Amino acid sequence: MKKISSLKISISGVRGIIGDSLTPQLAGALSQAFGTYVGGGPVIVGRDARPSGPMLLQAVIAGLLSSGCQPIDVGICPIPSFLFLAKEAKSSGGISVTASHNPKEWNGLKFISRDGLYLTPHQMEEFLDIYHQGDFTYAPPDRLKALRAESQPVEPHLKKLLGYFNADLIRRRKFKVALDCGNGAGAILAPRFLQELGCETVVINAVPDGSFAHGGRGPGLYPGVHFRRTRPLIQATGEWRAEGSSLDQSEPLPENIKEICRTVVKSRADVGFVQDADADRLAIVNDKGRPLGEELTLALAAQYMLGKKKGSVVCNLSTTRAIDDIAAARKAPVFRTKIGEINVVEKVLTAEPAAVIAGEGNGGVILPGVHPCRDSFAGMGLILEYLAASGRTISALQKRVPRYVMIKDKIEGSAEQGYRLVGLLKKRYEGEGRISLLDGLKIDFPDHWIHVRPSNTEPIIRVISEARTESAAKAAIRRLKKEIEELKNQI
Amino acid sequence: MKLLKIGISGVRGIVGDSITPKLVMDFAAAFGTRVHSRPVLVGRDTRISGPLLHAAGLAALLSTGCDVLDLGICPTPILQYMVTRLKAGGGMSITAGHNDIQWNALSFINQDGMTLNPFQGAEVLDIYHLGKFKKVSTDRLGRIRDVALYADEYFDGLRAFLDAEAIGKARLKVVIDACNGAGAPFLKPMARALGFELIPVNHEPNGFFPHDPEPRPRNAQQVVAIIKAVGADVGFLLNSDVSRVSCVTETGESLSEEFTFPLVAGQYLEDHCGPVVTNLSTSRMIEDVARGRNCPLVRTKVGQSYAVHALLQEDAVLAGEGSGGVALAAFQPAFDSFATMGYILQTMAIRGRTISRLAGELPRYHIVKEKIPCPPSRVHSVVSEVKKFFRRHEIDESDGIRVEDKSGWVQVRTSGTEPMIRIIAEDRVKSKARKRADEVIDFINVSIQ
Repeated sequence: MKKISSLKISISGVRGIIGDSLTPQLAGALSQAFGTYVGGGPVIVGRDARPSGPMLLQAVIAGLLSSGCQPIDVGICPIPSFLFLAKEAKSSGGISVTASHNPKEWNGLKFISRDGLYLTPHQMEEFLDIYHQGDFTYAPPDRLKALRAESQPVEPHLKKLLGYFNADLIRRRKFKVALDCGNGAGAILAPRFLQELGCETVVINAVPDGSFAHGGRGPGLYPGVHFRRTRPLIQATGEWRAEGSSLDQSEPLPENIKEICRTVVKSRADVGFVQDADADRLAIVNDKGRPLGEELTLALAAQYMLGKKKGSVVCNLSTTRAIDDIAAARKAPVFRTKIGEINVVEKVLTAEPAAVIAGEGNGGVILPGVHPCRDSFAGMGLILEYLAASGRTISALQKRVPRYVMIKDKIEGSAEQGYRLVGLLKKRYEGEGRISLLDGLKIDFPDHWIHVRPSNTEPIIRVISEARTESAAKAAIRRLKKEIEELKNQI
Repeated sequence: MKLLKIGISGVRGIVGDSITPKLVMDFAAAFGTRVHSRPVLVGRDTRISGPLLHAAGLAALLSTGCDVLDLGICPTPILQYMVTRLKAGGGMSITAGHNDIQWNALSFINQDGMTLNPFQGAEVLDIYHLGKFKKVSTDRLGRIRDVALYADEYFDGLRAFLDAEAIGKARLKVVIDACNGAGAPFLKPMARALGFELIPVNHEPNGFFPHDPEPRPRNAQQVVAIIKAVGADVGFLLNSDVSRVSCVTETGESLSEEFTFPLVAGQYLEDHCGPVVTNLSTSRMIEDVARGRNCPLVRTKVGQSYAVHALLQEDAVLAGEGSGGVALAAFQPAFDSFATMGYILQTMAIRGRTISRLAGELPRYHIVKEKIPCPPSRVHSVVSEVKKFFRRHEIDESDGIRVEDKSGWVQVRTSGTEPMIRIIAEDRVKSKARKRADEVIDFINVSIQ
């Protein structure tokens, strides 16, 4: 099988391996191309906590300066706050140095528009054309702008959040919250946000030097850098439960979730929150110290928002069917999109009736009333307001969400093979259910669904099923994998 | 036409034209590769383009595994001093010295705090041309560190080298024009360390140069205008990275930059006898001064690298150029205008003489410096043509074309930094110096056309 390339320049951004494909020269050229694309003006730049972040950020700054843009350096900043700032500061756009959940030898660049949104595929095409043509703007010395550091990048976002939620209602309940920032960027804002909402907060892993940071250069040389073993709970593809996962809590818990669960129990917290490294996704632990499963974050958020406001829901094809049930009960339409945050966001911007809640099953909640991006802070605010308004516990609210079991599995195979497999499987399942070819192959049956999709980032084909019970979900996966096995020599 | 000059100790060009992030990154990565991932000091002058080159240079050095000890805005001689103090692998100074605001450059410093010698420079250039830069994995990437209080360390060193007590007792009043360059934030620490009264001019490190950052009489108007008004004892003009300095007397006479070196040498060679190094374009004043003190003189090609490495090789005590750069070997082998100013102040203090008197003790020559623009593709052949003009003379070809006789000399050379041909002529008699230059200029103008 073909090895995956260590460099990906695609419409979802750029990713590569440090010391190999992702060089400062490349990052500088891309940033200069971006500066050329946006045509000057202020550009927000920031990074996640990866150890290669400072190096790449310098290259990004150099490229932007050279194109005549003014980089505004926010340092390590939660992604939702970064995006919000890009809009509020009337910037020309932004570049975030991040490789979200990739292993630490990776890093990458994400490009952001003046609206504070990731560039759409069309915008990315335009920008990459400039990069490939190599026709960059080189500002002469009298047109060069000064680099500016922004020391309070989260303020506009915090202000917006506090204005959006019914803060008084939440404050009156004096919630006790356990919070795990995973040593990611969320630590910069989350404790303060919860404090402003009158919560008594027990925080763990709150040093935003990142779970990636380490001090392998000998003691004392780099004070303040410690090796942290705690890793974020949420992994985009759920690798740690590749065997299968479920909405209930029957699966064994990985080490790093145990810590927050114990903290919830020990501090008798009303709820536990877990943020991923760039603070765009949120997982919830209930008042009994049991994790809810990532799919439930959006389900609970939708359950609350649809009860409060009329409108639609936008989510991707692989998000739990619980969303459809919740929406159907309130006669709200659900729009399903391709996988990828930008696809959900693009639909949010155009949905009619307007989306009141959106997101992904991986814990990415989008609250359009705040800003159309995945936002763990908006997620926390929603859950707390839900608790306050309903007067119930999180474990009681959880029981109101229709129960489904989702199994995520994968098989080896290239994108090309995945593409052919989808065509063959479509014929096999013809007439059995409602078929969607929006992103891979998704088939909705009355009591379950299956989804087959080649990965964009790895040489694997993802196979997912969801049903009311674990045995039904497993049976669906078993059948699907058997069909694939039979088709193997044809792909 | 793109202006880019790759010299032995660095690369210089016009920002946005030849100086691009890619070029800076490639050169910095080549240097990082050459120092084998040892820590590198980085400093810059105040130019608007400084942060651009700084960011590009940092990214590349970090990617080769070098820790960067970031000095921020820092004069090159202080960076050079700190390289040895911090036992770093080398240094990178981002400055175009005396060039105007359009320009910027990388100047590389070796682990001894000296500009790279020709062999070290050739190594960096080979790596650059090969394009095979060291790339380290995430775990081995360099880190950025700030260096605290380095100015104190430097000026403590300078204070110990000079007779600060004598300088303090003389209660000197000193005007210094930093041209809003890298020297600006360091004037006060210097005055504190040496105990003189400072009247700073253009001392905002904002990169807006009120005049060309080249220490020479035509840029001295501001200093000349205030020096008598405030009753100061001496005035100094600095370039943007404090590697060159020229003097203004208490009477308001702006001395040619050619005076700086012999002014220092007059006293310095009394204290430290030994060989003296200068370049082929520098005034004969220094010859007379050295001869008077029985010190041999060595002439090299133009450029700090040639001068300081000859300093080392010849076990010399002093090196300097007519452009106002002076290296005092007993302090550090670098063109250091803080040390130069300090030494001149010390001389004034100990000998109890005014700067005009010290300048008056020097033999007077008349030097004419001219330059003719010439496309880079033609400069070398045009200079070579000049040999025909001097077919009846003995020609020294160590640096361009140089012809000498009893009363004076003339030199024709390509500029190290710009697409220019420089003509320098000197004679005891002003009109003769002029004539020496004009004859050659006429010849060159004809051959360019």
